[in-house]
Amino acid sequence: MTEKAKPVELDVAYVDGVKLTGPWNRMFEPRVITDYDLNPLEAITQIPGAESLGYCYQCGKCTAVCPIDTVGDYSPRKIFRRTQLGIDLMDSPDLWLCTTCANCLRVCPKEVNMIQIMPAVREQAVAKGNAPQELLTAFENTARYGNPLGEPPRRRADWVKAAGVPVPILAQHKAPVDVLWWVECYPSYHPRGKDASVALARILHHLGVDFGILGVEEKCAGDSQRMAGETGLFEVLAEHNIKVLSKYQFNTLMVTDPHAFNAFLHHYPKLGGSWPTVHYTQFLAARVEAMEFTRAIRKRVTFHDPCYLGRHNGEYDAPRRLLQAIPGLELVEMGRCRENSYCCGGGGGGMWMDGFAAQHLNMRLSERRVLEALEYGAEVLAVSCPYEVSRFEDAVKSTGNAGRLAVLDIAELLAQSLGLIPEQV
Amino acid sequence: MTIASRLLVIGAGPAGLEAAAAAADLGTPVVLVEAKDEIGGTPLAYYATLTPHLQETHEAMQGMVARVRQHPHIDLRLGTRVVDREGEAGHFQVTLEDKAGKRTVEEVGAVIVATGFQHFDPGRETQLYGYYEYDDVITLVDAEAMFKTGRIVRPSNGQPPERIAFIQCVGSRDRQIGNQWCSKVCCGIASKQAIEFKRLLPQAKVFIFYIDMRMYGFWEDLLYWKAQEEYKVNYIRGIVTEVIRKGDRLLIKGEDTTMGRPMEVPMDLVVLSVGMEPSAGTREMARIFGLPKESHGFLATVGEPLDTVSTPVPGVYVAGAAAGPKDIEDSVSMGGMAAAKAVGFLNRLKVAETV
Repeated sequence: MTEKAKPVELDVAYVDGVKLTGPWNRMFEPRVITDYDLNPLEAITQIPGAESLGYCYQCGKCTAVCPIDTVGDYSPRKIFRRTQLGIDLMDSPDLWLCTTCANCLRVCPKEVNMIQIMPAVREQAVAKGNAPQELLTAFENTARYGNPLGEPPRRRADWVKAAGVPVPILAQHKAPVDVLWWVECYPSYHPRGKDASVALARILHHLGVDFGILGVEEKCAGDSQRMAGETGLFEVLAEHNIKVLSKYQFNTLMVTDPHAFNAFLHHYPKLGGSWPTVHYTQFLAARVEAMEFTRAIRKRVTFHDPCYLGRHNGEYDAPRRLLQAIPGLELVEMGRCRENSYCCGGGGGGMWMDGFAAQHLNMRLSERRVLEALEYGAEVLAVSCPYEVSRFEDAVKSTGNAGRLAVLDIAELLAQSLGLIPEQV
Repeated sequence: MTIASRLLVIGAGPAGLEAAAAAADLGTPVVLVEAKDEIGGTPLAYYATLTPHLQETHEAMQGMVARVRQHPHIDLRLGTRVVDREGEAGHFQVTLEDKAGKRTVEEVGAVIVATGFQHFDPGRETQLYGYYEYDDVITLVDAEAMFKTGRIVRPSNGQPPERIAFIQCVGSRDRQIGNQWCSKVCCGIASKQAIEFKRLLPQAKVFIFYIDMRMYGFWEDLLYWKAQEEYKVNYIRGIVTEVIRKGDRLLIKGEDTTMGRPMEVPMDLVVLSVGMEPSAGTREMARIFGLPKESHGFLATVGEPLDTVSTPVPGVYVAGAAAGPKDIEDSVSMGGMAAAKAVGFLNRLKVAETV
């Protein structure tokens, strides 16, 4: 007969800073509410942009779609209630867990707008230095190096050496281009991001597109830093980028990163920088007829809608048109797709708070998403946001599914099918 | 027997005033009987402002009151009660008695009963809110009296309250009390009053403890959203079970149901959102005219939901909160509807008589 497992009993146990020491099976009684200290709620809702936190009437619709609540105890409704109970959002982990995925706003009847609340409140917390250290490090890196990874700015265009096709850098090109490709940070520096950049460069070459990049002159577009509370840094970056972009003649700004795409569509224009802007999936979808596919990809592929391409900016079809154009490819949709798509966890500064999130959540959002892709029978998880390749690849490994699910950028899948890169799957 | 051409309207609140004026405008002579010395009914007697637009009640009702006072076809009898009735539709002989005890008998062809409601007496609650025990536990009606003075204080010490709690559904939705209905207007009135408290005492913290917020129609955003969003009124789901004294404050005890936690929170002023019950006058008219009551004790109508004013007794109509909890809009609408039905009824009797 096997022996029964003995419960582990710690002498001193802390969970989220709360001391839970005692017999392992004791009843936890809910603490009596002895006051509704409204000062935090009044202070928060006085912050310009954060007024709507006070609009919540507790319907709970957000909770059902909040990606954080599936791996923790979190949603705008709960944040409102905790604040109404006197817990200061400024000092609460709740302030940093929101990925600004906008799924709550999509369903909220009262238009409680976390997309405005979060950056507004975070800005004040950051000003007091009251933010997770990882995030502050990412801000520092961005301020110092122009990218959150802390990579040397002069190596921003090093990836083009691996492209194998001409990738003109405008400072040297000395001529107008049709398309200015905004590469952004992760596609410039991250190994898997660079793979996608190489693939995209070859596709553009294959299509005969007259394009160029900024190379070392490009700095992070800064949208996620803005959402994470560094409005000042965002403005400095935007000012620099607008100045650089204004030097060159081009017809279209093609952006790899949905976060940068969002900034160019909605926030750079307010600062004086306005150009016809497309996401790379939109740019390629308009040219899909000109692609000469030579290799079938006989795989079941599912697509993860990036929050900032889909919900934030309404583009759901371009990535799917591209995937469906690939011969042999079978597109399967996950339950949470398009408008109600799940979140990878990288937005709103989540990209730089992995350790913080791990302390407060029982699973990464990327891990939850990878399990969903597997549940729906996918062999390939296709992505179109540079945050996602690394997040989902790590999640495939950490959930013990190495070898069962490939994570590829849509550019990589297209390039493979066009015979431009070696077979990935 | 000759058909009496006059219409008797009993009660001069919003329903009775509208009924009398509408019937008179249609050419029917009206006897309007009101037990009090003023017309305007419960809103004018007790409410400083009207829900949902917060107009001052006297100003808002001025036109309605003047129209009745000046109408040549309305015979207004103030300080007068209906004490007896004989006869049937077309020839009711109704005995009226004024305050001096002087009785007259009037012959009328049809009757509209608009005798309204009375506020629930919180001494009769199953909960222990201590209305008759603690000075700082008041009702919506008491709060209106304070709004009329423009000065909000704790009755116990004359100081402005820092924390004010409304408790909803007092005397409503309660099987033990015997009032199984929702009184319809209390959520809106509490929200209206919460706005008024915040206007007069911007620093005060105002809470509304509720089971369900029932802000039907436009009251949703005109009152509920406005109170919450513009006036920072705090709505807490979970009703208060009891109020106890703690020092010179009141401790409200209940459960915060969206947190799933018990609460024991100090307050300076507790406002009981008392509901509606049939008024003494309504019950008396039911007896005098032989009007059946519906299951909750208000005057029964036939043919709901399509006919809201015809009672089972021919020639007798009901308007306003005598027929159940009503807001002012409903009461006035019923007043007009009852006038149309009663005048039509009288006309049909006259036609039948001349044939």
